[in-house]
Amino acid sequence: MKKLLSSLAAFVLVLGVFAPAAFADNHSGGDMAMVRIIHASPDAPAVDVYVDGSAVVEGAEFKAATDYMELPAGEHTIEIYAAGTMGEQDPVLSANATVEAGMAYTAAAIDNLENLQLKITQDETEASEGMAKVRVGHFIPGAPAVDVGPIGGDAVFSGAEFPMVTDYGELEAGTYDLEVRTTDGTQLLDLSGTTLESGKVYSAFAVGTADSPDVLLLEDSSAMPSSMPETGFGGAADTNNAFAYAALLGVLAMGAGFVFFRKRSEA
Amino acid sequence: MKHILYSIALGLLVFIVSFQLLDEPAKEARVLSSFEAEQKQSEEPPPLKRDTIENEPIKKNYEPATVVQQDDQTGIVPTRLEIPSIGVDAPIGPEGYTDNGGMAVPDSVTRVGWFEPGTKPGRIGNAVIAGHVDGQSGPAVFYDLKELKAGDEIFVYGEDGSKMTFTVEKVAAYPVEESPIRDLFGPTNERALNLITCTGPYDQEASGYTERLAVYTTLTASDYKQ
Repeated sequence: MKKLLSSLAAFVLVLGVFAPAAFADNHSGGDMAMVRIIHASPDAPAVDVYVDGSAVVEGAEFKAATDYMELPAGEHTIEIYAAGTMGEQDPVLSANATVEAGMAYTAAAIDNLENLQLKITQDETEASEGMAKVRVGHFIPGAPAVDVGPIGGDAVFSGAEFPMVTDYGELEAGTYDLEVRTTDGTQLLDLSGTTLESGKVYSAFAVGTADSPDVLLLEDSSAMPSSMPETGFGGAADTNNAFAYAALLGVLAMGAGFVFFRKRSEA
Repeated sequence: MKHILYSIALGLLVFIVSFQLLDEPAKEARVLSSFEAEQKQSEEPPPLKRDTIENEPIKKNYEPATVVQQDDQTGIVPTRLEIPSIGVDAPIGPEGYTDNGGMAVPDSVTRVGWFEPGTKPGRIGNAVIAGHVDGQSGPAVFYDLKELKAGDEIFVYGEDGSKMTFTVEKVAAYPVEESPIRDLFGPTNERALNLITCTGPYDQEASGYTERLAVYTTLTASDYKQ
């Protein structure tokens, strides 16, 4: 009799082992942040970027911008090495950064090599319907403060100084002849024919040197739904046979148990 | 009498355990077809010697950001979708957002919907077309979408008669809550068109499928009529 009870107890134990796994709410998404990295230091060599000791970017040269990469929310150590020198030389830059779940960030390595620093900004991912969202970053060391606006027209962003990144502003979607000019009106960069599409979010980062300025115009985000489309009514769904199979196994086990337990009790 | 009770208890236990194990929906993305998967099987490059590594030019190893490029192709307002390999020929209508901010879909099971707030097919970016896998009582327009393989061609016709040819790069299935919405709808440097439908087990309680099928394609030919 005791044997029977103990074998039954064993089954309960087995159930106990499986049940938590079966009932656990396996929802892993939702605790990640997005981070992209920009090499905006005009005289720095090509670099490798390590996050918490593992290489995430290799061989990024000046003006390189990576796509967003997922990082778990929390604090991370970001180390930048001259390409291929990890383990042989000290990093050219080491910084800690805390990222929040569901947020997007740009980490830009800026200024000349001897003053290299990491500039981290939080990025937006949504624009109003029919509008485009834009911001401007001034990453040209030694260049004066700048305005950005239509050529010869009123500035949309004014007085951005190195190493500042403006807030986002919303513009009507359309094609603009924009320029980056010093606050006294001297054109630094001609951005004629820049098309800003509705629902998109842009970052324009001025990079390079005062003599040789350039712009990195990045698309941070575009019009996206918050969830996937509901594309089925179940009329042709494979019938889920789990219930039938499980019932069959259960009945078989009951039959086997009946034979087994009866023999035991007769003995 | 006790042996009967024990057997019933045993049967119930086996039923509960096996039901829980069998009824688990998929929790990870499944790649059904892609060029990469086929290439991986064929060959692994031999490991590099130390000497070679030092003499190599700097290795680039990262996904570049989406950079705004001058795009001279306007893209098309799509009106008809044709996929010869699975016998699909369907009208396309524009779709926007649902009340909850999701992507709306056509009421019809024979039409497909283009996500109008996003990219026009043919332009740089991710254009998206979604269609039903089934209706209340049988298969719908995208029932055979899962049969597509890397290399299959898809034709999209515009209201002006233009024809765009897209080629399948990858077919993958995702648990619905873990679908890569940004990869499907977000910025990209390619001229991409992604097809979406439902797949996986049907959840009667939530009256919806538990997975989404995504077919990633890129533009391989365009014939503008203007």
